[in-house]
Amino acid sequence: MAATGGFVETDNAEAIITRIEHKSRKIESLLKQSKPVEALKTALEGSPPMTRDERCKSANWIVVHRAIMAIKDVDGLLSSLDPEYYDILMKYLYRGLSTGDRPTCDQCLRIHEKLTEKAGLGCILRSLADTVNAV
Amino acid sequence: MANTLRLYLTCIRNTLEAAMCLQNFPCQEVERHNKPEVELKTSPELLLNPVLICRNEAEKCLIETSINSLRISLKVKQADELENILTKKFLRFLSMRAEAFQVLRRKPVQGYDISFLITNYHYEDMQKHKLIDFIVQFMEDIDKEISELKMSVNTRGRLVATEFLKQFI
Repeated sequence: MAATGGFVETDNAEAIITRIEHKSRKIESLLKQSKPVEALKTALEGSPPMTRDERCKSANWIVVHRAIMAIKDVDGLLSSLDPEYYDILMKYLYRGLSTGDRPTCDQCLRIHEKLTEKAGLGCILRSLADTVNAV
Repeated sequence: MANTLRLYLTCIRNTLEAAMCLQNFPCQEVERHNKPEVELKTSPELLLNPVLICRNEAEKCLIETSINSLRISLKVKQADELENILTKKFLRFLSMRAEAFQVLRRKPVQGYDISFLITNYHYEDMQKHKLIDFIVQFMEDIDKEISELKMSVNTRGRLVATEFLKQFI
């Protein structure tokens, strides 16, 4: 288990970062077409699971952050997002709240309230308890 | 402005409701001891991810949970030097009387103004939603208290100065 985890890290770190760059280009184009919901879906889809590499996580965070800040209609976003992405979104929201940057925090607080109403307290608890797939 | 405060408090309330799942857990290292695991942090399997909720650059709230205890640290907004001093003195006053509050911690965590420590024993004696109401109410009232103190200091200063300078008219 640890060996395969190490395998993923060293060999695929570069591959993951290239994938994230592709993703960010796709997201930029989606945002230009004013489709913030699709952009966020794309950003959350390829979230690298089980990477210990800080660079991959930061790179992915930057991409997700860009998509989150572009969201204007929170209710629309939550009604069209699949439930399997709620947990990942919650983890990224907490990462956004820890930055301390005023516009990011405002946006994250807004989405957090609506997401808790939709997904419930279990979503928050899963993001607190998941020490393995920390975002 | 008031809206962000409401959102901030709602977020903290929801996070606390989810994070406050405490049970009795005797110490694993030393027999017959029962210690709040969030303070010692000896075993990583007993700790949950700490969560930092910032409202803006000046105000933030750190919530750390473990299996038998929960620690909440607050940093209160301090706009100028006077508020800085008032906050420090007022919160030190409260912290020194932590026995009366039961859930208050005597010293705030490094980098914060005040800390609460809730253990499973508090959780057994008191109701969960009342504990959370207390914390959120505390956060709302702290801002009001500090502004009131500041206003009374300024008023008193102005009165004293007026009286004193009257003799020179």
